[in-house]
Amino acid sequence: MRAVVIGPGLIGCGFVGQLLRSSEWEVCFVGRGPVVDLLRRHRRYLVRLVEGPDADEVLVDGVSALGLGDRRSAAAAIAGADLVATAVGPGNLAAIAPAIADGLRARQEPNNVIAFENLLRAGPHLRDQVALHLPPGFPLDGHGFSGAVVSRAVSQRRWPKAPGDPLVFVGDRPSAFWVDRPALREPLPEVTGLVAIEQYEARVQAKLYTYSAGHAACAYLGFLKGYHYIHTAIRDPEIETAVRAAMAEGQRGLAARHGAELAGGEKELDAILSRFANAGLADAIVRVGRDPRRKLAADDRLVGAARLAAACGPAPEKLALAVAAALVFCDPSDRSCRGLHHQVAVTGVPGVLEAVCGLGSDDWLARLVTEEFNRLSAGWAEHNLLLSLEPALWAWASPADLAGPQAVAVDAAPALAGVG
Amino acid sequence: MKVAFITVNPPSATEGSVTPAVIGLLREWGLEVTLIRPDAELIDLHEVQVEHDLYVLKSGTELALSLAGMLDALGATMINPYPVTARCRDKIVATRILQSAGVPVPKTFLAVHPSQLAPLLDHGPLVVKPHRGSKGRGVQVVWDADELGDVATAAGPIFAQRYHEPTGRDRKLYCMGGQLFGVKRVWPARNYDDKLGEPFTVTSELHEIATRAGKAFGIDLFGLDIIVSDGRPFVVDVNPFPGFKGVPDAALRLADYVYDATRRAVDAAQRGGAAA
Repeated sequence: MRAVVIGPGLIGCGFVGQLLRSSEWEVCFVGRGPVVDLLRRHRRYLVRLVEGPDADEVLVDGVSALGLGDRRSAAAAIAGADLVATAVGPGNLAAIAPAIADGLRARQEPNNVIAFENLLRAGPHLRDQVALHLPPGFPLDGHGFSGAVVSRAVSQRRWPKAPGDPLVFVGDRPSAFWVDRPALREPLPEVTGLVAIEQYEARVQAKLYTYSAGHAACAYLGFLKGYHYIHTAIRDPEIETAVRAAMAEGQRGLAARHGAELAGGEKELDAILSRFANAGLADAIVRVGRDPRRKLAADDRLVGAARLAAACGPAPEKLALAVAAALVFCDPSDRSCRGLHHQVAVTGVPGVLEAVCGLGSDDWLARLVTEEFNRLSAGWAEHNLLLSLEPALWAWASPADLAGPQAVAVDAAPALAGVG
Repeated sequence: MKVAFITVNPPSATEGSVTPAVIGLLREWGLEVTLIRPDAELIDLHEVQVEHDLYVLKSGTELALSLAGMLDALGATMINPYPVTARCRDKIVATRILQSAGVPVPKTFLAVHPSQLAPLLDHGPLVVKPHRGSKGRGVQVVWDADELGDVATAAGPIFAQRYHEPTGRDRKLYCMGGQLFGVKRVWPARNYDDKLGEPFTVTSELHEIATRAGKAFGIDLFGLDIIVSDGRPFVVDVNPFPGFKGVPDAALRLADYVYDATRRAVDAAQRGGAAA
């Protein structure tokens, strides 16, 4: 059996490719950049599955790779594949849709396309994108399109130390992924870890509104408190408490919508927090926090979880705090961050909450987020950090304080009694 | 990843030291941590070689500095780098560097004999310190010429600064990877709580001082001792690896910093290796 994996990145290589090869599939990666050259040349890479200081190494060999720019070869590979997988990031699905359309057009039999993207409705979204590049009347319904909920976190790609060394991808050990059974065509692909379910959207929400919400909250709050890694930030008692509470708020909404079993309880939260504490991943806060605009979408991990929770109980305060922290998050190399900050400067927070998060100004969740944002942004400046989240105590006086008449005199510097 | 701490004592020997917790966290996170205690171990000079991805130069003893100098010459990555630490350890050099960078320091004098300081006492008291001292050891306030006989001369040149009567508690500024922390502290500390002091939000003026000092030495991990007199801050000491006592979550933050520095050192070495 042959599979094409579009996107030889962290999830593409560190999860999808590894599971396919361990299930004895032939794997051809399609992508861009130096990774494609390395895979084409060496035909192998290493996946390091870590749990703290312990690691298992899995050699993934016998793979091939094609450049996405070689459209004819890519289309031929897709046409001849028994499974097409994507792992390109939700924002890039539109860009790869033409290649998939070309491949499906050249194929007679039904096929399955699985989008390994951390996104609600990833399958239908990719299908719609592909349809844009097919002629009217093309029998696209003959092909299956599903998203996939990935259980593994893959945090790093390490380049070869020496010529001939393999690429290395670092992730944790979970290997299950859930797909939307009704959206796929028979026969379902036989791949290690594949779990075909009926209530797929509920499963996506369950991951987004607990694990992903907690991960994002940890990154944004960790950034505010000056940490570099998720495993470090989660050791901060204040952050651990806030992240747990944010995920519990997510669970509350999930339980109301889909039932307590899917939402999970304390045990599931413990397991997630334990994964965040996995130092072997060395997962950088700027990686987990990147692209905050996408992560703040109305149905995504933070706002989506907060809206669901708000609909069935008290204010999701910690999710609102995480949303506010995401608006402050600042990675100068991240275009999404810069754009978001610009938008905040131009339209104010209410404008961003409406345009990005789908929260109208009369929405009490928007007011809660705005309150938190005002509290955080009052002290924020590059390299400044919060010594304490509650109350918000900054390491040094903000630029506004520096310039204004409220500047704190040396001897009148407010003491942070009880911090530490 | 392998890290070595060059230290004086077993870390647990110092009350309130964050180092044991830092080492514990780094080990928990999978780093191989070695303690090197040059003042307690026999060192074969010919066997010294770079065996760790990162060296943490915690100790400021002469032997520790010499060992750091050797490792630096062999290409070791170190926080802080040996040349900077050596400059910081010499109060004469450090004070001049700070002054050149526009950091307020008390007027400073050098002498080879205490009697040379006598005329200066007409204009106010002096603080006399060993020029390579640390942790407040040997610091003496001299008010009258007849006290000059008590000034120790065995430690080499006499380093004297104009004494400014502190207003309130001393300020400690700690910088860690561009992040700045302020702690107010009684000096001399009478007990452990005094040593911990009290965190405070650093003002714009002190922030500017720390920024200038960091740039002047080219480091982002250091401590400054500051006294405030009549509303004016004066930097009276710089420490290239302070204890960070009183900084909230100090051990976790320092472990995060060392972990990140080690990763960057490994990445840099790999890039160098791949390029070669």
